[in-house]
Amino acid sequence: MDSLIPFTTSGSLVDCVDRKMLVVLRDGRKLQGVLRSYDQFANLVLEDTVERIYYRDFFAEAWKGLFLIRGENVVLLGEVDLDKEDDVPLRQVPWEELLPYHRQEIAAKKKREEVKAQVLFEQKGFCKEGGEGDGY
Amino acid sequence: MDPASSGIQEPFDLIRLSLSERVFVKLRGDRELTGVLHAYDGHMNLILSDVEETIVIVEHADGVPEGQATVNVAKRKVDMLFVRGDGVILVSPPSRT
Amino acid sequence: MLIFSVFKTLTDQKVTVELKNDLSITGVLKSVDQFLNIRLDKIEVFDEARHPHMMAVKNCFIRGSVVRYVQLPAEHVDTQLLEDATRREAAAQGKR
Repeated sequence: MDSLIPFTTSGSLVDCVDRKMLVVLRDGRKLQGVLRSYDQFANLVLEDTVERIYYRDFFAEAWKGLFLIRGENVVLLGEVDLDKEDDVPLRQVPWEELLPYHRQEIAAKKKREEVKAQVLFEQKGFCKEGGEGDGY
Repeated sequence: MDPASSGIQEPFDLIRLSLSERVFVKLRGDRELTGVLHAYDGHMNLILSDVEETIVIVEHADGVPEGQATVNVAKRKVDMLFVRGDGVILVSPPSRT
Repeated sequence: MLIFSVFKTLTDQKVTVELKNDLSITGVLKSVDQFLNIRLDKIEVFDEARHPHMMAVKNCFIRGSVVRYVQLPAEHVDTQLLEDATRREAAAQGKR
C-alpha cells in the first residue's frame, strides 16, 4: 500500500507542510510563505506570506500575512532551498521604489500580447481568443 | 456487431482511426503540431512521438505601425510529447498539399 | 486513467514540463495524481533569468491545469502498448 501514497495530491504535498514555499498564482503574483495546510484541490494556507516583485537584477518584498489560496488559482508551488536562496544574485530594494517599474513591465507585456493578437487577426485570420485573464 | 469496428459514430471514433498515424494538431496560443498519435483520452490529452511544433511569432518593433509587423514561424522537434487536452483545438490527418 | 497510468510508469525519469506561460522546467518526475498535477525534483529552469523567482527552488509541485506539454523520454514509452491500451479504453467506455 505504501507505493500508492505518492500518487495523490495529498501525497505530493505532504512533505511541504511547515516549509517555506514559493507560490506562483495565475494572476502572475509570486508569494512566499510557510505552507501550513492544503487539501485535494490544492487550496493552501500560507502563513507569514510576503509578496515579491522582480525587475531586472532587483527584487522587493511586501509583507501580506496569512493567506487562504483557492487551488484553481495556483500555477506552481516551489520548495525554497534556504541555501540556494543565499546565492541568488538579486539585490533587494524598497517596495515603493520597484513597484512602478514592475507595473510598467506588466503593462508592456499586456500591450505586446494585444498587438500580437491584432496582427495575427489581421494578417493570418487567427481569431482573437480574448485570454482568460491569466497574467502568469 | 462489435462496437469497436462499427465505423465512425462520433468524433472520437475519427481520432481512434488515426492511432499510429501521423496527425496534425492545432493548439491554442498560435501553435501547431504534427506527430504520430499513440494515445488519447476523453479530455483530448494526447501522446505523440516524432513531433514537430510550429509556433507563430509576431515581430513588432515599438513605433512601427501594427500593419508592418512581421509574422514568423519557429519550429521545434521533440521525440515524445504529452499534450494536455485543454489546449487542443483540433486533431486531423495531416493536410495533403 | 490511461494518461495517469502512463505517468505513473515514468516516475524517477527526467522530463521537461512546459507551462502555458512558456516556462519550461526539467526535473525528475517524483509523483503524479489523477488531475495530472506533477511533482518534480532537482529542477532546472530554462531561461532562468526570465523567471528569477525560480532561482532558489529545487523541487516543485505543478498544477495539472497549467501544463501545456510534458516532454517524455521516448525510450521509456512503449508506443505499441499505449495504442492497444487506448483502443481498449475507447472500446470499454463505449464512447471515446
